[in-house]
Amino acid sequence: MHVLIINGSPRVKKYSNTDKILEKFTKGMCENGTTFEQYEVSDKAQWDDMREAFNRNKNILIALPLYVECIPGLLMEFLETLTPKNDGSQIAFILQSGFAEGIQLRCGEAYLEILAEKLGCGYKGTLVKGDNFSIRFTDDKMKNKVTDPYTEMGREFAANENFNSEACRKFTGPEIFPAHMRFILGLVFNTFAKKAFKMIAANIGCEQPLDYRPYR
Amino acid sequence: MVLIVNTTSDTSVTDTIRSEIESRSTAAVLTSDIEIIEAASLNISHCIGCNYCWLKTPGVCTIKDDYEIILKKVIHADQLWVISDTALGFLDHKGKNIFDRILPIATMYLRFKGDQMRHVPRYDQRTDIGIIYRGDVEKDYLKRWTERAALNFESRSLGVFESNEVKEAVSCMCL
Repeated sequence: MHVLIINGSPRVKKYSNTDKILEKFTKGMCENGTTFEQYEVSDKAQWDDMREAFNRNKNILIALPLYVECIPGLLMEFLETLTPKNDGSQIAFILQSGFAEGIQLRCGEAYLEILAEKLGCGYKGTLVKGDNFSIRFTDDKMKNKVTDPYTEMGREFAANENFNSEACRKFTGPEIFPAHMRFILGLVFNTFAKKAFKMIAANIGCEQPLDYRPYR
Repeated sequence: MVLIVNTTSDTSVTDTIRSEIESRSTAAVLTSDIEIIEAASLNISHCIGCNYCWLKTPGVCTIKDDYEIILKKVIHADQLWVISDTALGFLDHKGKNIFDRILPIATMYLRFKGDQMRHVPRYDQRTDIGIIYRGDVEKDYLKRWTERAALNFESRSLGVFESNEVKEAVSCMCL
């Protein structure tokens, strides 16, 4: 199988969490001979080549971050330039987000099934997973802890050519956290997480409190 | 205040909104309470996902374009209506960009609201959201999305209306 991969993140490749996920995912996907070509929607210089690749390939994978419950505006801008295929092509998606619970991504996932149809392609499912915000801001050890599990999902995708397996479904994790976990996480948000966010902010030159109100 | 952002190049919808409100003499909302921004002529980029509005320049978008006009008004708006063309069964990219760029009104901080994580709002104002669209759309999905997007900003959906249903949308503005 040869797969066209489109990284639908508006963030430049260097800082793209979706790209770091794809690095691990493609490692697993390619173990048994599957090949791929990858393009970045964040680089408009690639859009002509991406359109040509979309028309040429039958197996398409779009990986994207959730932006306000659906696809990012920049990815939509690119997709608006495509002509629906209706030639038996198939699309699968990797949908990732910062929020950790599966329920946060379901509205976006529902649109991706509609999108496949609008693009004249069969729908091969969506790999849904949150809790990825930290990828950009943590060291390699922590980054790998978050992204390494995608390698197994790459193997699953190569074997099944879709994301419909039980393993892919379980990969999402909990739909919502149970009450006791929410209580604990609430404490973490107010203490360690706040401290961690302030530290990240200070490291990139922030000079205001994170709840600063610039406009009156 | 009701803020209306028209991302389409067709001003007939906003013209109808103005005349509808003027004609409703008993309306609780006066024309002076309505702010209309014709965004088609403005320079508004997509969100680039840099997170600087949360972590480097809190509340301020790093992209210096005309979106700041909208952002400064949203924080005082009781309602935000986005008028949008459609694409691929959803809002087109210009309509979606208005929502993607709204992130500075939230902070990096997290809390649980009900059983789900939310970002802590930066301001006290809560802004309900309505959509007026032109073109083909998956309406049930758009309703679901608008409800979900509003939940994310701790507000509520005002509904989803086709451009020929503007009178119904104005009724929601005048409640």
